[in-house]
Amino acid sequence: MAGEESGDDSLYPIAVLIDELRNEDVTHRLNSIRKLSTIALALGVERTRNELVQFLTDTIYDEDEVLLVLAEQLGNFTPLVGGPDYVHCLLPPLENLATVEETVVRDKAVESLRKIADKHSTAALEEYFVPMLKRLGNGDWFTSRTSACGLFSVAYPRVSPALKAELKTLFRTLCRDDTPMVRRAAASKLGEFAKVYDKDALVDDLHGSFLDLSVDEQDSVRLLTVEAAIAFASLLNSEDRTKLVKPILLSLFDDKSWRVRYMVAEKLIDIQNAVGEDMTAQDLVVAYTSLLKDPEGEVRCAATQRLQDFCGNLKKDSRQELILNPILLYVKELVSDPNQHVKTELAGVIMGLAPLIGKDHTINELLPIYMQLLKDNTPEVRLNIISSLDRVNDVIGSSQLSTSLLPAIVDLAEDGKWRVRLAIVQFMPLLAAQLGQEFFDEKLLPLCLNWLVDHVYSIREASTLIMKELTQKFGGAWASANLVPKVQKLAKDSNYLHRMTCLFCLNTLSEALSPEQVLKEIIPIVKELSEDNVPNVRFNAAKSLKRIGKTVSPAVLQSDVKPMLQKLCNDADFDVRFFAEESKNALGV
Amino acid sequence: MLSYDTPNFRHDDGQKKEVPPPWRMALTVSEGPKDVKMEIATSPAPRPDSPTIGAGTVEISTQDLDRHIEKLMRCELISEQEVKTLCAKAREILVEEGNVQVIDSPVTICGDIHGQFYDLMELFKVGGAVPNTNYLFLGDFVDRGFYSVETFLLLLALKARYPDRMMLIRGNHESRQITQVYGFYDECLRKYGSASVWRNCTEVFDYLALAAVIDGKVFCVHGGLSPSITTLDQIRVIDRKQEVPHDGPMCDLLWSDPEENSSGWGLSPRGAGYLFGAEAAKSFCETNGVDLICRAHQLVMEGYKWHFNETVLTVWSAPNYCYRCGNVAAILELDEQLNKEFTIFEAAPQENRGAPAKKPHADYFL
Repeated sequence: MAGEESGDDSLYPIAVLIDELRNEDVTHRLNSIRKLSTIALALGVERTRNELVQFLTDTIYDEDEVLLVLAEQLGNFTPLVGGPDYVHCLLPPLENLATVEETVVRDKAVESLRKIADKHSTAALEEYFVPMLKRLGNGDWFTSRTSACGLFSVAYPRVSPALKAELKTLFRTLCRDDTPMVRRAAASKLGEFAKVYDKDALVDDLHGSFLDLSVDEQDSVRLLTVEAAIAFASLLNSEDRTKLVKPILLSLFDDKSWRVRYMVAEKLIDIQNAVGEDMTAQDLVVAYTSLLKDPEGEVRCAATQRLQDFCGNLKKDSRQELILNPILLYVKELVSDPNQHVKTELAGVIMGLAPLIGKDHTINELLPIYMQLLKDNTPEVRLNIISSLDRVNDVIGSSQLSTSLLPAIVDLAEDGKWRVRLAIVQFMPLLAAQLGQEFFDEKLLPLCLNWLVDHVYSIREASTLIMKELTQKFGGAWASANLVPKVQKLAKDSNYLHRMTCLFCLNTLSEALSPEQVLKEIIPIVKELSEDNVPNVRFNAAKSLKRIGKTVSPAVLQSDVKPMLQKLCNDADFDVRFFAEESKNALGV
Repeated sequence: MLSYDTPNFRHDDGQKKEVPPPWRMALTVSEGPKDVKMEIATSPAPRPDSPTIGAGTVEISTQDLDRHIEKLMRCELISEQEVKTLCAKAREILVEEGNVQVIDSPVTICGDIHGQFYDLMELFKVGGAVPNTNYLFLGDFVDRGFYSVETFLLLLALKARYPDRMMLIRGNHESRQITQVYGFYDECLRKYGSASVWRNCTEVFDYLALAAVIDGKVFCVHGGLSPSITTLDQIRVIDRKQEVPHDGPMCDLLWSDPEENSSGWGLSPRGAGYLFGAEAAKSFCETNGVDLICRAHQLVMEGYKWHFNETVLTVWSAPNYCYRCGNVAAILELDEQLNKEFTIFEAAPQENRGAPAKKPHADYFL
């Protein structure tokens, strides 16, 4: 095509690119199409309009991969064809792309058309864009009609009343289309179309289509009207909302297809916000409880997930009452739900209700649920319950709980799945804070010390990390009495992996203990391990010195740390020398 | 259940793939523009202040290796040029190792990995990070799983960075012919656009040790014993720097299996290697003064399995093998006194698995 007749060498790469557009190999075409803006820039606006866009319109039959990139590129082409005055020349190729069989290409073409619709002047919109929209909407094949649905909201607000009327009719036709694919597209765009619709005509015109789609024979269409219901509810005044949206909405809560009900449960909080506090209190609460006892586990799961948010959004003066009756009545059933995911969700949110209903009700109503979930067979359920301990403590204090909690904690601490153990290890500092030192020393400390010799590395590592937090909480003297003896014993363990665990403990402990304690209790152990038989232990001692060296006085650094590092720098093992050298440089000794 | 791997040169099981012989392969893939552009990729020169590993001629700094390791740990690829340098360095280290690599305890022994990258990450979480824990991997790093390239390059980078902490020996899948059938070759082609990474890796395969002995007491090998080998010295004299042969001692070490119901030797249903019985294992142990033969090569649902009155042990480290077998995996931790502790682990949970790596779009043409 172009470029070849030009004697200018600088256009040569462009000529290559254009040739590549016609290459047999799809990767070549793809590569060239990605550089389309470069070609257009080199050709100039006029030739881009007359030749390039023309060429692209004619050669639309290509691999979907190429078409997808083309559809995307054309959306950014407005400046390259000469700005808003000429933007309509991009419509023909995009119109073609909006009719192809592959959905992703079509969607991309619609996205680009929406992008360039804004660039059109009102006149151009009426002259070129709307006729194109009408052609798409009346197309023979469902693909073009599907694409048309996405274009109403960008064209409608800016055209003359006459055209508006035509577009209204066309949209209504599409809502009643024979193919569910088109109805799905219409249903999913109904909400955004409603938002740009004339407020007063909304009830008369669009509501009928909304109603039709909400009782469509296909559940895949009906579930898309949930979004539309939210849009309508937020657009209408409360009287129309009650009269027109409420019945539709409630029928969706009650739909015979679980997928629709699942969608409703997913969008519950949006629905709640759109319909307002009053309608929530009167109707939505009852509808919500029907989701909580839904026959499908997925629906119950999605509904349970939103329990805390839903209750938190209830109108203040009637909130407590509504939670106690009816919501909690249904929640109590979920405690013995056959689906473990439902119980896991419930365990995660149940204590979120505590601040909403006050201390007495929490003890009477929530605590039994909490205790029962604590004994559940599924570790994830127990884990979620224990993780919300702080919220329970805020309301009722720890003393009543600790005895009930302990068996559950011990159980999880020895769970066969190491990730469950890990979660409970990481939870220890919080438990320590909530349950107090005495209880911790007696019941939980032995667990913590046991984890130091767990056969899974991640558990050993995590249990060394909590040493620091525990020491900060209970003080250096406590650590000397309770942690250091165990750590000293680890240094003499016959397994090198455990001796390394000892060093990891020292790393975190040194940052929580006083410099004197580090000198007296930590440094001797490091010294011992820096002379270990196994190189892995020695280079970890070298690494430890890098951290521990930062916590001691300069004098100790010179008198104790430096000689150790110097010796390690002359070790027979490469890795020991490497890490000793690194620590030496980091400490500047 | 999955069928055995079979060396396609011996068995025609009806699903044999048309594979051009390796020399044809090499010719066809080096044609075209793809190889040309790849050579342009550059890596930053090693910084002068950073120590280099070993005394060899291949220059690669510890910092570069740390960078590769960090990247590969995220399951991201390193550049083709970087692979080339890494493989050269690895060859330089491996060529110094004997056919029977001498290893000191303590060490953790791992079986087949088969490109299951995220499960290898799980293994390190359970067994400990390199270099803290010493590892011996018994081969079959590649094929079958989705991430053979990342898995092998990571193990190789760790070997290059910590030669004394990381031991790799050869499995039957570390072979040109097998990797062309079971996935590694195709994966290299898909992820790098040319076969040169595959060629570099398969050259490294030829340098991997065939076996290892820990403290003179534990003999480690991928497959098992060979009727043509009675002493360790007979392994030591094999010229190992070659593609795995179709038969003979080197092939047997990588292909054989223990057989509970026989005492001596039997034909292997795999079409390569032999079945060895209790008597064969016992006499090998007595002749060579070893207590235990530790090997991998066969899926065991419980992760490890004892044979022949605890003289032979199978360790398998690919949990939920091929993402569908439902097995657990195991590693064997040997401490300084050769005390054994098995750690069992399951496949990494779904949320820890990244999306399959997208093919970076090749920018060949301009």
